[in-house]
Amino acid sequence: MTRHIDEEKNLIVRHTKIELLEHWLIALSGLVLFVTGLFEMPFAKRYYISSVPGLGWSEDYIVTLNVHYAAAIVFVGTSLFHVIYHLARGDRGLIPRKGDFKASLQVIKSFFGAGEEPRFDKYLPEQRLAYIGMAFINFMLIMSGLVKTYKNLYAPDMSYGIVLTATWIHNIFFVLFFLAFLAHIGAIVIKPNRPLVRGIFTGKVRLDYARVRHPIWLEELEKGTKDG
Amino acid sequence: MNVSRRFFLKVFAGSAVASLAWSNVSNSAPIEGNLATLIDLSLCDGCVNLRLPACVQACREINKNRVPPVKEPIPEPWPRKTIEDWSKKKDVFDRLTPYNFLYIHRAELIVGGEKKTFFIPRRCMHCDNPACATICPFSANHKFKNGAVVIDEGLCFGGAKCRDVCPWNIPQRQSGVGIYLHILPSFMGNGVMYKCDLCHERLGKGKLPACIEICPRRAMIIGKRKEIEEMAERRRREMNGFIYGKVENGGTSTLYVSPVSFELLNKTMKKSPGKPDMVPGIKRRMEITDPLGKVVLFSPLVGAVVGIAAGWKRRKEEKND
Repeated sequence: MTRHIDEEKNLIVRHTKIELLEHWLIALSGLVLFVTGLFEMPFAKRYYISSVPGLGWSEDYIVTLNVHYAAAIVFVGTSLFHVIYHLARGDRGLIPRKGDFKASLQVIKSFFGAGEEPRFDKYLPEQRLAYIGMAFINFMLIMSGLVKTYKNLYAPDMSYGIVLTATWIHNIFFVLFFLAFLAHIGAIVIKPNRPLVRGIFTGKVRLDYARVRHPIWLEELEKGTKDG
Repeated sequence: MNVSRRFFLKVFAGSAVASLAWSNVSNSAPIEGNLATLIDLSLCDGCVNLRLPACVQACREINKNRVPPVKEPIPEPWPRKTIEDWSKKKDVFDRLTPYNFLYIHRAELIVGGEKKTFFIPRRCMHCDNPACATICPFSANHKFKNGAVVIDEGLCFGGAKCRDVCPWNIPQRQSGVGIYLHILPSFMGNGVMYKCDLCHERLGKGKLPACIEICPRRAMIIGKRKEIEEMAERRRREMNGFIYGKVENGGTSTLYVSPVSFELLNKTMKKSPGKPDMVPGIKRRMEITDPLGKVVLFSPLVGAVVGIAAGWKRRKEEKND
C-alpha cells in the first residue's frame, strides 16, 4: 500500500498540507474580498451594518479598500502559486476530462435516486467542472482587479473604455463568485459528499468511504501510478 | 440687477471671449491636452453689481437641463430613508446643489488693519488622482486626459460615495432621477450625483468652460497645465501671495492664487453640506492605500516564483523517495 493510506486508522490522505493551505488561503481571502467588496458599495451605512458595534469601519471606503487590498495580496499570490505549483508537478486531477459533463448529469440524477453513481477517481466529474468554472471566475476577478488597482495607483485617466470594461467584469464576476461559493457550500448538503468535508479540514478522508466511492483513485494509488 | 445680456450672447454664440491662456482658441478644434485652470482671487470681484455672479449664472444656464424631471413621488429608500430633493429649490445659488455647480464664497478679512473682501469661486477641483472617480463602484465617474473629472449621469446610482471620499464633499445628489429607478429603487441607489465637469463637452467642441468664457475680469483662465502652473507661480510671486490646489489632495488641476493666505481665507469658511472649506495642504486620504495597492500588483509575481520553487522542490523530494 502507499504512504497515503493508514489501514489502522481507516484513513487516506486526500489533500497535502500545501493543498490545504492553498485552499484555505484562497477561501478565506476570497470571503474577505467578497465582504469588503460589498462594503465598497455604498452599503454598510445604508443598511446600518456600520452601526453594529465593532463594524464602524465598514462605512469607511478607504479602510475597506485597504482591507480589500490586503486580502487581494493573499488571494492573487496564492492563486498564482496554485497554478504554477501544480503545473510544475504535473497535477491533472482537477482538470476536466472528456465525458465529465455527461457523468455529472448521471451523478446529479443519482442524488435524486435515479440510477447508480459511476465509479469515481479522486475527484468527482462535477468537482472538475466546478473547479474550472471557479478558476475562470477567479481569473476574471484577478485580471479586472489588477487593472482597477493599477488605475487607482498610477493611471486615474486611463482609457474610459478599459476602466468601464474592468469595472463591469469585476462587478459581474463578483456576483458569479458569490453564486459559485453558494454552490460549493451547497455541495456539502448532499449526503454522499459529506465524508469529503473532513478532508478539507484534516487532509484525510475515511478509507472505507474512499474504497466504495473512489475506487479508481484507490486502484491507481495501489498500482503506484498516482501520487495522492 | 440681471447679468448683462451681452455676456450670455457671448457664451452661447461661442464668440471669441478668450482667456489669457487661450487667446488663439478656435471654435471648432477640441481643446485637448493636460489642462488646468487658474482662479486669481486678486481679480475676482464677485460681480457684486449683478444679481448673480456672471460665472454662476453662465454655469446654471449651460446646465439648466442637466437634471431630468424628478419622479414624483420619489421612491423612499430602505432602510435608511434619506431623500435629497433639490428640484423645488433650483434657485439656490449660494452653495453647491445638483442645480448649482459653482458658487461664490465671500470672505471678509482684516488685512494690514484694513477691511478687505475676497470672492472665492468654489466648484470641483478636478483632482489629479480623484478618489471620487477611482473608487466609484460603477466607474460612473472618470478622470479624462484633459484633467476633467466627469460623472456619467446615465451610469450613476447616486450612492454618494464620491461625496464621502471627496475632501471637499463637492458632488451633490438629486434623488428620484437616474438608472436606479429602473432597477431596485428602494434597495439600491438613490439618484444621481452632480458636479462641475469643467464643461467637458464644450472643451471637446473647442469652446471654453462657460464660467471662464464669461468672466468679465478674467479672474478665471484655462490652459495647458504647465503654462497655468508657471502663470500661477509668477502671479504668486508678483503679489507675494499664496497658491491653493497645487498640493492639496495630492494635486489638482485648479490653482487658486491669492494675495492673502488660505489659512486666513479658510477661517472665513465653515464646512457644511454644499459649502466646502479650504484647508491648506489637505492630504489625499487614499494615499494610505497606495502601499498595499503596490503589493497587490506585485503579488502575482511573488506567487508564481514561490510556486515554481515549491513545485521544483517537491518534485525533487518525490524523485528521492
